[in-house]
Amino acid sequence: MKMSGASDGAEMPEKRPPPNWILQHPAYQQMKDLQVGDSAQVHAAFLVYMDLTEVRRWKEVSCVKSPELQLVLLEVREKEGAPVQTVLPLPVHCSLSHKSIRQVLDRGFPMLLCAVAADSTLVYQRMTDGLVTPEPPVGPFQDVGRRQQRKRRQQR
Amino acid sequence: MEAPSCRERPPGSEEEKEDPAVVVGLSLCDSAPLVWRMQDLRTVRSRGLVGALLGSLPRAPRQNGRLGRPLLLLPEEERLLREHHAAAALPQPDRSQAMSGLLKDGVRAELCQQYEEQQQRSFEEQSVLALEDRKSALHRAMTSSHISAESGAGTSDEALQHRLQTLDQNFTFPRSALAVQLSTARTGLSYCSEARALLQADWPIRQRCKPHCDARYQVYRDLRGRGFYLTSAGKFGGDFLVYPGDPLRFHAHFIAVCVTLDESICLLDVLAVTRLGSNVKKTVLLCSPGADGGVCYTSLQWSGMV
Repeated sequence: MKMSGASDGAEMPEKRPPPNWILQHPAYQQMKDLQVGDSAQVHAAFLVYMDLTEVRRWKEVSCVKSPELQLVLLEVREKEGAPVQTVLPLPVHCSLSHKSIRQVLDRGFPMLLCAVAADSTLVYQRMTDGLVTPEPPVGPFQDVGRRQQRKRRQQR
Repeated sequence: MEAPSCRERPPGSEEEKEDPAVVVGLSLCDSAPLVWRMQDLRTVRSRGLVGALLGSLPRAPRQNGRLGRPLLLLPEEERLLREHHAAAALPQPDRSQAMSGLLKDGVRAELCQQYEEQQQRSFEEQSVLALEDRKSALHRAMTSSHISAESGAGTSDEALQHRLQTLDQNFTFPRSALAVQLSTARTGLSYCSEARALLQADWPIRQRCKPHCDARYQVYRDLRGRGFYLTSAGKFGGDFLVYPGDPLRFHAHFIAVCVTLDESICLLDVLAVTRLGSNVKKTVLLCSPGADGGVCYTSLQWSGMV
């Protein structure tokens, strides 16, 4: 194999870097074809795609483009026959507005935000329209007796 | 539009149960709206506004668990009251007038004398009570030792009588042991002119930043209109804590974060506040006033996906 660029004959031959498997992955190619113009976001979307399909084995994962946001969104079902959910993948250093969140919610599906860190850590958060009452704390509850309070006061 | 009437009570009257005031009197300390009078506090609470107590209680000083008057209102609470014509600033008493009134020799001397007489009466009463207390304690001590001693009954009785007599003759109640009652019913700093001057110092207590303030107020008014009680959420990094009922009866359900629709929010901040919310079992609400006067809410929750 011919060496490229080496003028000094005594140098060690350069190893050709292995082909980037991400760039060649068909799913990645699909996302790239959506032409959102933000390669960092596309990369984040791909990592979320891999997590959902390979790790969590969710079904029917597909990518769509959000024209208002110029971002790649994923549509996915958790199981066969489960309702469709929208996943918004974003690199963690990004910022977003409430308006853009509403635009994703307006698609009408339950929404998950996924933040992708530089080390590929993924954090999923649920976003819902309206006021969702939180889960109440789990019992059984024990009233703190007066003796305990007195003990605490003496310890101070 | 007529000016709202403000009920003024003469400082001398002491009424046990006053009806809640129709209009709340606010004492403005620079920009901070304070509520001092009991009837005003009742009105504020009955309207579903919570506020925050700031003062220390005379009988329980040096703790922050239970605080007393004045009540500090949130800027949103004050604005809501004003919009409903339910609050007005109490007229600041003319300082020179107040001070000269107090320092008028006759009035002051008279007040001093009344106070001294009252203290003397209290001292005499307390001396009598203290002596009786000591006697009964002595009696108890000596009779209980008599029961356990099994020695001759006659001698202990005599000893007791002798001791009681000595006590009668030699007992003095020291002035330093006098319990002084502080009357707190009318605390309003109407007479502590130095303390009042301190409260009127010139530094602004709260900053005013226009666009964010409006967003906060729209959200406050909308949530209050839906029957929620709101307090400040500084401990949780949000704007308001939202309770489904009176905070004395319920835990908060939501941490409200007020932003405008177009405001750029750092994703790390969203993650942080949502994670905090899930740790304290509250839903984080992203609230933005919309163009049509309504407010849109987005609930942020932990997905449960590890």
